Amino acid sequence: MSENTPEGDHAAYVFRLYLAGGAPNSVRALANLYALCQKHFPACHRIEVIDVLKDPSCALDHSVFVTPTLVKVSPAPEQHIIGNLSEEDEVLRALGLPDHSIS
Amino acid sequence: MTQKRSARPLLKISSGIEGFDDITHGGLPVGRTTLLMGGPGCGKTVLALQMLVSGAMHHNTPGIFIAFEENARRVSANAETFGWNMPELEKKQLLFIDASIRSDAVKSGDLDLTGLLAVLEWKTKEMGAKLIVFDAVDVMLSLLTNPMEEYRELYRIHEWLLKHDLTGIITTKVEDNEQATQRYGFMPFMADCAVILSQRVTDRMAVRAMRVFKYRGSPHVLNEVPFVIGPTGVEVGSSNGIHPEPQPFKEKISSGIERLDVMLAGGFYRGTNALIAGSSGGGKTTLAGAFIEAACLRKERCVFISLDENSRDIVRDLATVNIDLTPHLTTGLLRMESVRSESASSEEHFMRIKRIIHEHEPRCVAIDPLSALSRVGGGLAARAVAERLIYLCRNAGITVLFTSLLEGVDPHLETTPLHISTISDTWIQISYALLDGERNRALSIVKSRGSKHCNQLRELIFSDTGITLAPSYTADGKVLLGTLRLEKENALRTEADSTPTNGVRSKRKSRKPAAKSRKPRRTK
Repeated sequence: MSENTPEGDHAAYVFRLYLAGGAPNSVRALANLYALCQKHFPACHRIEVIDVLKDPSCALDHSVFVTPTLVKVSPAPEQHIIGNLSEEDEVLRALGLPDHSIS
Repeated sequence: MTQKRSARPLLKISSGIEGFDDITHGGLPVGRTTLLMGGPGCGKTVLALQMLVSGAMHHNTPGIFIAFEENARRVSANAETFGWNMPELEKKQLLFIDASIRSDAVKSGDLDLTGLLAVLEWKTKEMGAKLIVFDAVDVMLSLLTNPMEEYRELYRIHEWLLKHDLTGIITTKVEDNEQATQRYGFMPFMADCAVILSQRVTDRMAVRAMRVFKYRGSPHVLNEVPFVIGPTGVEVGSSNGIHPEPQPFKEKISSGIERLDVMLAGGFYRGTNALIAGSSGGGKTTLAGAFIEAACLRKERCVFISLDENSRDIVRDLATVNIDLTPHLTTGLLRMESVRSESASSEEHFMRIKRIIHEHEPRCVAIDPLSALSRVGGGLAARAVAERLIYLCRNAGITVLFTSLLEGVDPHLETTPLHISTISDTWIQISYALLDGERNRALSIVKSRGSKHCNQLRELIFSDTGITLAPSYTADGKVLLGTLRLEKENALRTEADSTPTNGVRSKRKSRKPAAKSRKPRRTK
């Protein structure tokens, strides 16, 4: 399952979020990711959501077992961020965004 | 007190490890969780893996191995070194899942294992898996921020296993026993069976041990038992397994020395064990050689295990007392193995000897000297090994003769380094009598269970025609050995023949005719 934002066609940031249905951490991660994208790159991102409860084979193929897991597919290199993304600073640092761009 | 009857009796599945099944009275609890805890390098992964592989190979129980720490491919590759056919098993029966987190992954906020369980649920149904191993669960728990979360995720695994009626094995690293009880105190509570593995260094020798400290609803061995990781995997040395008591033999077999057989009212009972204790140079190995030769002459398969002495040297030395083992080695009736005691722990020696016995299927075994085991791996471990060797032979109906070196200055201190004399059926003591400028070997039977035996001290004589025992003479309350005995013998003969004697002769010269006159007859 993938959800494309309208701006997704020429997205600079492509994310894949593995979550487990309506599990609390998964719901929170999705909300946190939407908020973060809107705030930092509103016009150039695409989010694919994979529900491992519905599509476990995809999780196995990509060796993703803790939920939620966010994978930054592009720009390269691929980066895995595990957890519900509540620590925004950690996420931005992992995405390679300089600290000053946060504010 | 009324006993609450559980709706379902506790079912167990064999772990595939004989000793483990012994100490748990049957193996792992089916549909429950078993916890294996221990420090790094204790053998948790191998143990869990062996249980999984055994289930797949022998009980048609497909299983899944989830590796949180080690690379799953490497785990599977390591398994092949134990001779398990992993590629074949992984076609249908086994699945390895690499659940280790990428080293470059970043953590932000809380997480859970719902995803993993979703994958497992799918795969379990597809394969019909019954046994699930979660290896190094502590690594996964370290991703969590507080003990409450750790508890929650473990509980999630536990509940999931229960819900799907799966048998689970969870391994976790703990640094020491205190941590095992405090930090992860909830883990043993959750599990139905909990085992602590350890590795200690005693007298420079690493010794592995395990202890089942909890088994809900089942009796189990509480004590720590040693184990080794050998070429075929984990071998657990259980001390009180449930084995059928062998039917005792009424048959007596020769000790290899005719006069000793007479003292023992016919020899040793078959299937029992005999201990020959004595100080260095007393002739223990020679007696062991005589026993083995007699058995070979009866066409019985034999094993001669010598610790710290070369087999060839023993064969050569025995030939000087007219014991020839060479033809039996050639025909393959006899297998001789020499083992360096310090090359391995006593536990490893035990496993090796067990394997030799298993391969050769002997009726008679000699272990010379068993006391060498006490030099390695700590006294307590060595003693347990000695005991288990004895029980191993007894259960297999093998007659075993083992020698034990008595060290120390007091020849009257009748105790062996391993304290095995208490469980030996026959106990023969060889000592030296230092009297009137001579050192003579003396033999006595301390005990012989269920059999009449001679209570007298006899002189043990080795000559190029063989081994024999001379009756001792008592005069003025003293036991006469060596020259004094010969003098007494001659005096008696003189009395009978009324001819004069030629007085005192040198010991060696005098002994030969005496020995010849009582030419030892080799037993058939």
